[in-house]
Amino acid sequence: MRSIKMDELNLLQKLERVKAPPDFEQRVLTQLSVRKRKRVRVRNLSLSVAGAFSAALVIFIVLNVFILPEKSPVGIADMDKKSMAPAFEAEEMPAQKTTIPIIEAVDYGEEVRSISREPRTIYLLEQVSDEVSSTIKY
Amino acid sequence: MRMDEQELVRQIQEGDEMAFAEIVKIYKDKIVNFLWKITGDYQKAVELSQETFMRVYFKAHRYKPIAPFSSWVYTIASNLAKTEMKKMRRYAAVSLDDVQNNLPMETYASNPTDSGLLSNLREALNSLHPRYKIPVILKDIEGFSQEEIAQMLKSPLGTIKARISRGRDYLKKELEKASSKGNSLALNEEYQDG
Repeated sequence: MRSIKMDELNLLQKLERVKAPPDFEQRVLTQLSVRKRKRVRVRNLSLSVAGAFSAALVIFIVLNVFILPEKSPVGIADMDKKSMAPAFEAEEMPAQKTTIPIIEAVDYGEEVRSISREPRTIYLLEQVSDEVSSTIKY
Repeated sequence: MRMDEQELVRQIQEGDEMAFAEIVKIYKDKIVNFLWKITGDYQKAVELSQETFMRVYFKAHRYKPIAPFSSWVYTIASNLAKTEMKKMRRYAAVSLDDVQNNLPMETYASNPTDSGLLSNLREALNSLHPRYKIPVILKDIEGFSQEEIAQMLKSPLGTIKARISRGRDYLKKELEKASSKGNSLALNEEYQDG
């Protein structure tokens, strides 16, 4: 068995070497142009998406803060009245009866909630009928 | 790093494609050869070399002249080779004999008369794990110092020394094994001939 001496590993330098193909530089430069164009496209797309998102966010904030009106407690009571309107009409008694039922649904819970949004809210109780009747159903 | 190479690198960092083409001209054969020795596949070596130069261009701004530019280029090539070898998951690469047969003659930079020893060495290098192959090739073929290799591969110097030593030991054992097989084959033939 022949022993391999350390310096015989210089054989590694004697191994054959290969060269790059003749059109290698051209291939690299072509690939470079393609990649550069791709990077510009990707950058433009990212900017567009970011811009669109920012614009949508600004519009959302402006709409919710400045443009859309806040609902007042009176408005809420009116909404309740309107939603109860069919029931109110059904409940209305004919004129020959002595008592006029007055049914007004008031959501006190909503009233209380709306108070917290609007400080110093004053509620006025007003007479809804000119007739003074002894029997008023609430 | 040569002064003109220094200037070329500075121009590449500013996006100069002509300077980049010059660097490609200087390093293309070395990088292709280096990657061919690691992967054992010429086409793969050419692809990886192209990718190496792409990264050289787009990451040129990251290069700091603390280490030679050549070692930075080889670092990129080594990292790509390591990734590729992991993907391929073959540590016993395609035999270089098979690849050679498909390559045109002008592909070879040097075509020394092949001895049985060189052929055995080629086989042994082919079967070496990339962990040892890359440092051995960088040291014994490409001529980098162990300190440079440690920096390129981001490994401690002691680790690199150990890997080079083990890689060489493996190659020596493989050559001795192949050599003894050859001797016994020759003896057998002699006996058969009578």
